[in-house]
Amino acid sequence: MADARILLVDDERLVRRSMEKTLFRAGFDVDTAEDVSGGLALFEEALEDEEEGPFDIAILDLNMPNFEGVEDANAGLKLLSKLLELDDDLPVVVLTAFDEVERAKEAVKRGARAYFVKGREAELLDIVNDILDESE
Amino acid sequence: MQEQDNVKLAERRAKLLQAAAKVGRGVTSILDQDLLLDQTVDIICDEFGFYYAGVFLIDETGEWAVLRSGRGKSGEAMIAAGHKLKVDGHSMIGVATGQRKALIALDVGEEPVHFKNPHLPDTRSEMALPLIVGDDVIGAVTVQSTAEAAFTEDDITVLQTMADQLAVAIRNAHLHTENQKLLARAERRARLLEAAAQVGRDVTSILELDKLLHKTVDIICDAYGFYYAGVFLVDESREWAVLRAGRGDAGASMIAKGHKLAIGGHSMIGASIEQRKARIALDVGEEPVHFKNPALPFTRSEMALPLIVGDRAIGAVTVQSIEEAAFSDEDVSSLQAMADHLAVAISNAQLLEELEAAHAELLRTKTFEALATSTLAAIHWIGNKALPISTSVDLLRDDLLSLSGVDPDLLASMQEDLDTIDDSASLIVSVQEHLIGPAREEKPRPAMIDDVVRDVAVSMDIPPNIVTYDVAPDLPLIVADTTQLARAFGYVFKNAMEATEDVEQPRIRVEIAPDEENDQYVAVRVIDNGPGIPAEEMEKIWAAFYTSKGVSHAGLGLSACVQIMKQTDGEISAADHPDDGAMFELKVPVYDGRLKSVELPSDRSILLIDDDDRWSQFVTEVLTEAGNKVERSIIELSGVGRFDLILVDNVLALADVKAALKRLKSAGVNDRTFVVASSLRVERTMALMPLGIRDIVLKPYTRADLKALLD
Repeated sequence: MADARILLVDDERLVRRSMEKTLFRAGFDVDTAEDVSGGLALFEEALEDEEEGPFDIAILDLNMPNFEGVEDANAGLKLLSKLLELDDDLPVVVLTAFDEVERAKEAVKRGARAYFVKGREAELLDIVNDILDESE
Repeated sequence: MQEQDNVKLAERRAKLLQAAAKVGRGVTSILDQDLLLDQTVDIICDEFGFYYAGVFLIDETGEWAVLRSGRGKSGEAMIAAGHKLKVDGHSMIGVATGQRKALIALDVGEEPVHFKNPHLPDTRSEMALPLIVGDDVIGAVTVQSTAEAAFTEDDITVLQTMADQLAVAIRNAHLHTENQKLLARAERRARLLEAAAQVGRDVTSILELDKLLHKTVDIICDAYGFYYAGVFLVDESREWAVLRAGRGDAGASMIAKGHKLAIGGHSMIGASIEQRKARIALDVGEEPVHFKNPALPFTRSEMALPLIVGDRAIGAVTVQSIEEAAFSDEDVSSLQAMADHLAVAISNAQLLEELEAAHAELLRTKTFEALATSTLAAIHWIGNKALPISTSVDLLRDDLLSLSGVDPDLLASMQEDLDTIDDSASLIVSVQEHLIGPAREEKPRPAMIDDVVRDVAVSMDIPPNIVTYDVAPDLPLIVADTTQLARAFGYVFKNAMEATEDVEQPRIRVEIAPDEENDQYVAVRVIDNGPGIPAEEMEKIWAAFYTSKGVSHAGLGLSACVQIMKQTDGEISAADHPDDGAMFELKVPVYDGRLKSVELPSDRSILLIDDDDRWSQFVTEVLTEAGNKVERSIIELSGVGRFDLILVDNVLALADVKAALKRLKSAGVNDRTFVVASSLRVERTMALMPLGIRDIVLKPYTRADLKALLD
């Protein structure tokens, strides 16, 4: 599913850009947002986009400014819930630099398919491909 | 006839006067009292032609006249027999000394006052002459002849003159001897003071405690000429004085045996420390307080000097001599002055040691703590900024492979540069993890430490043939945040694996037992058969960012362990094992809370997927007792639908957890399946949670925790 649409939301510009390039080179169609509001807007737009269609997968950072623009370790979880309200089948991968069990479990409980610890990007493509394969 | 007699008498008088003068000349220049007395009796006998002469001196009691010199073998025999006569007694010497007068017995066989001396059987005449100086009678001279009626009254006058000169000479010799003694004492005193000053000078500049103490015992023995000296210091419990330095082989042997004496006990050292007073035993064989030390069998005198700083006794010095009554009051004051210097120097050295220990402790913990807490945000920021580097490097690697027409050497060089960048980025990211992990808030709980340790080894894929366990039976529960504890053991095992990389048959031995020194701890020793830790690195290994393993290591593992063990109220230490390589010992506090008696749910059918280990035995026993049906299995998973609850151990030595969970998912029982883990890691959680399990939780080690899980 190399032409799948991926939404990538991360407030770290360089992280965002390097992951975007990795995914892009793997053949994915990647849209990026630097905060949860931008991410939600892109997702909503895609739902209406008859030409390109909705996103097939979302990759969300957890620790970034929330909808009120305040730095929030759970901002990504809030976006996750909103996206799943709009599309309950959406596969979501959550990203964070924090190696923290409870937040990971919370993400899974909210419906995330996978949790990805930043710094191990080499495994990112495998995770994305596995999830997309399962979705097919 | 009368004229002839007068001439003879005059000649005899003249001869006696000459002899008396000769005695006077001969004796007055002799300052050695014993020599003086011996020469006197010889001159008297030789010059006057008498059979025997002897000199008695009155002893210190004033009651006895003691024979101090006697002519010939008779004299020697009497001196050897301790011959003495009562002053003012019935003997002629007794009368001469008691009544301060000379007397003659001309026919001694018939003289009633005469002592019939068996050593002098041929005496027929005797004269006793008092020795008088000023108003003092100091003794008497006896002169004896084999001739009857050998002495006349006139002879008395002549011989008394000689006796008077002799008395003065004896007094002079006595004074000379006393002066010599005083001089010797003054010299000894000067030497002692010099030695005390030397100790003061030498010791105050030595800040290394052991060196200071050994130097001190050498100075004391060398300067004072004593047989043995030793320094005891009070231990931390303030119950014992421990020998820290001792002269020679005896000292070395006692230190090796850990020689110590109870403070306030029967030993002189123990008593001197408690009373903060110097103690002397001049004949230690008879001194009841003396410790009869088999290592120092020749001690006849001992002095114990307290080492006092302010109002506190920090130890004591023992000084021992092979001579009886070796110490005088002056020795005590001189040696105590030395001990006072020493006490100050020891106190300084101890303070320095404490300062160094505190500094080392700071290095071990505070630098890490400071890095891990106050700069956490900065570390996090830097780590995050480094995250894209690896991703970008991967992209560049792909780009390089797609380039054509590039010089192969240049290509190899660029790939090497990318490897370097990638390694550096990984290191920065791992530093972030090493620092953030141990700094997390602790959630201590009761746990089986052997279960935690074994899980760590299995999770790290350490081959079972490498690691062996020696676990004491009936281990108490410990209290710790098991996730953090597992992190610490992970670092220690990683260290052991790396240490044994080049060993042909690597071995890691794990010993778990109650701490021998303090039963409030369980000690876990991880011993490898690698090359050990070089002595010069022993302290450095705990410092943050120190590594001996090259640039690919951040050098944070052991400092993270220190931080974790500190938060756990435990300890970590390293040593070289005498038979193997490095030994790391982690002491973890025993759980001292009360284990709640709780009522567990009953009538449930529970499947336990676990190895046959202490934890599964505990759970089976407790749940069965409560009226549940418990089955344990690791392979046979058919018919799992009949179970109300399935508990899967996160770490199985003999089976694959993910495979088991997939089968449970296929059987449709994943929603009643809990994975229990001795420690929780996010990767593991995220690997297992998507398999549809109910939850992954910390493994319960008490009935109360088990109840919480079942509820």
